[in-house]
Amino acid sequence: MAVAVTDVGAGRRVSARHFVRLKLRVMGNSFRGQGWRIGSFVLGAVGGFWLATVGFSLFAIPGLAGDDEYAMLLAALGGGLVVLGWLLLPLIFFGVDETLDPARFALLPLPRRTLVTGLFAAALVSVPAVAVLLASTGLILTAGIFGGWTAALTQAVGVLAGLLLCVAAARAVTSAFATMLRSRRVRDLAAVLLAGAAALIAPVQLAAAAALQDADWDRLAAVATVVGWTPFGAPWTIGIEVAQGRLWAAPVKLLITALTVVALLAWWSRSLESAMVGVTGTGGAAARPKVTGTAVTQLFPRLLGWLPRGRFGALVAREARYWWRDARRRAHLITLAVVGLFVPALFNLGGGSPETPSPVLVSLTMLFVGVLAAATLANQFGFDGSAYAAHVVVGVPGAVELRARMAAFSLYLLPLVLVISGVLALLLGRPWWIGLTAGSLLATFGAGLAANTLLSVLGAYSLPETSNPFAMNSGAGVARGFLGILSMLATAAAVTPMVVAAALLGDVWLWLALPVGAAYGLGAALLGAYLAGDVLDRRQPELLAAIAPRR
Amino acid sequence: MTAEHPALTLRGLVKRFDTKMAVAGVDLTVPAGSFYGLLGPNGAGKTTTLSMAVGLLRPDAGGAWVLGHDVWADPVRAKQLLGVMPDGLRLFDRLRGAELLAYHGLLRGMNPAVVNQRAAELLDVLALADAGRTLVVDYSAGMKKKIGLACALLHGPRLLVLDEPFEAVDPVSAALIRDILRRYVAGGGTVVFSSHVMEVVERLCSHVAILADGAIKRVGTLDEVRGERPLEEVFVTVVGGRTATGEELAWLSR
Ligand SMILES: Nc1ncnc2c1ncn2[C@@H]1O[C@H](COP(=O)(O)OP(=O)(O)O)[C@@H](O)[C@H]1O
Ligand SMILES: [Mg+2]
Repeated sequence: MAVAVTDVGAGRRVSARHFVRLKLRVMGNSFRGQGWRIGSFVLGAVGGFWLATVGFSLFAIPGLAGDDEYAMLLAALGGGLVVLGWLLLPLIFFGVDETLDPARFALLPLPRRTLVTGLFAAALVSVPAVAVLLASTGLILTAGIFGGWTAALTQAVGVLAGLLLCVAAARAVTSAFATMLRSRRVRDLAAVLLAGAAALIAPVQLAAAAALQDADWDRLAAVATVVGWTPFGAPWTIGIEVAQGRLWAAPVKLLITALTVVALLAWWSRSLESAMVGVTGTGGAAARPKVTGTAVTQLFPRLLGWLPRGRFGALVAREARYWWRDARRRAHLITLAVVGLFVPALFNLGGGSPETPSPVLVSLTMLFVGVLAAATLANQFGFDGSAYAAHVVVGVPGAVELRARMAAFSLYLLPLVLVISGVLALLLGRPWWIGLTAGSLLATFGAGLAANTLLSVLGAYSLPETSNPFAMNSGAGVARGFLGILSMLATAAAVTPMVVAAALLGDVWLWLALPVGAAYGLGAALLGAYLAGDVLDRRQPELLAAIAPRR
Repeated sequence: MTAEHPALTLRGLVKRFDTKMAVAGVDLTVPAGSFYGLLGPNGAGKTTTLSMAVGLLRPDAGGAWVLGHDVWADPVRAKQLLGVMPDGLRLFDRLRGAELLAYHGLLRGMNPAVVNQRAAELLDVLALADAGRTLVVDYSAGMKKKIGLACALLHGPRLLVLDEPFEAVDPVSAALIRDILRRYVAGGGTVVFSSHVMEVVERLCSHVAILADGAIKRVGTLDEVRGERPLEEVFVTVVGGRTATGEELAWLSR
């Protein structure tokens, strides 16, 4: 809808410069009287500078070391990662940099081309862009050392082109997904993906380290060469190509980059319109089939049809639905699943000799997983927020409520326990150890449920009402963390008999661990629900006040 | 025994938040079968008072009785007789409308067959049946009020306590809610609701209490409170707002 309105006023042309100045002005004003904003901006700048330094060192290493074998490899793969980051991170943190929201320009008679170039220029003024620029000067240095001034200058052009590519990619992709991301479901999904990604970072790091140890450098170098000819690596490798004598490659790679930037900007320009108008929630509920079944059957998930149709059953059904439908809870579950699988595997397989696994070490790692799993419930009422008022109004008995919450969480956790124990036993090459692994895990999990349930009644705190599952109210963190650690220690102490038994009883324990552990866990959990339920009965209103966010 | 008891009795309710005295000693007697409006400007303490009356907020002093049952000493019986729609609190909004009703019904210990039948009827009457698969979190503000009302009505309470039931509700839904509440009172129920909208109160209520700065300023039947004047005038006088005398801002008229 590029409306051709009569030229306003004396025809002072709006240029990219205006957008940049506008952005700086908006940023400056947003700091006024907002100490925490300045603080977080400074923090972001410091973080960006730190990352830039790291990036600079990485890119400069080949040059400084005088080793031009790895120069191409680092430039292509490192640069490619940077572009990938610019593509994906804004998708996950939608709206990170919306100082100039395109929607605000919807009513202004601006040609689309002016708008796009202006917003693009404004987008270049940001901490991440400066950080990338700083980091990639390392590439210029490397190119200069190997190829002299010509290589350095070509690389400088390449770096600028690369920066344009990064920003254009981020803008085009976010704009294209803007409509989608504005609907709650997709944002939930993004949050969950982020949780999964965060949880995966540790294992991936370890895997990468392991891969690097016996890496096939030649194969990696071949991959880098290929990446260098895609838009991901092209701008970053121009100088290296010149330094290595392939002069013809420089204009070709520059052309690849330029074409990509133009294509991205065109894509952005096209999707900008719908982003400006902000079309939301298309294809919502209306398209989906009508619900069937009575109200009560709808409440109970199909797999849980066997639950009693009463107070306890309803609580379990609702909690079970919430563990899946609430992005914050789902993120917890996914993180737990990933960490729960990887940590035991790493501890028991890495380092020590897999030929002689130790029952004590196995019990200890299972203890860790059990404690971690149960700690998810440390602020279980905080997940509900003020919705918990419904339970206060009805006067749900505390013990019933807590038993139901434990049961619903266990519906997700017990299969996970089984998988973790089974996988670990298999990895150890001793499938018959599943009794030991599962028994230790069940005992810890049960004891942890008891401890954390009590903590959740006594030490509940409110969580911000956002869709970001990692958002926390600042301030209370330290005290809460301390309480959490206390409950973890209590859990660990409660199950030390299991570890001691593993150390003392020898082979008999391999068979006894499962029944004893399961009974121990169940008993502890029920006792915990009974005791904490009594406390809950007496302080329902206080709990509600603690978890309802202040308006 | 409940016949001779008022539907709701509040005695000496006090609540202070840090330095702010939110409710400074409220006494109120709501006769059974009345339609009671609690009027007050923003921040008067309506929500705080009603929260203490239904067991959501522990009072610093004083007590509340529902049909003779002490809300704080005998909560089980009192809460069975009560239906509550709080304001500014969330529902379990990751459920769909029907699921939410079923949840409330089963939490109240109702028979599943009865829950099903009443839930279907309520969704139908309140025009929420079309929402189908939409989660309550995605409902509009007015729809949320309506599903909240349905949750409060589901178990057939003797006393309904509603905090700002007409806020953010469109005229059509408001008329619907008014109609439902009138029928509920005609059938022997009692309604207490808070509002700062005079027209609604004047149209519905048999009794009115005006709350300001945490204290009851006027109380009685609607006619007693307003006398010969419009309710709005009484309200503004009592609350201490200014009414234009014609002296100030004289320069506005040329
Ligand atoms: N949790 C709280 N903490 C501190 N002050 C509160 C809290 N809840 C209410 N208040 C204060 O108490 C007063 C009465 O509030 P409220 O009962 O919500 O008024 P109303 O519902 O009549 O608008 C207001 O001044 C409000 O700011
Ligand atoms: Mg209020």
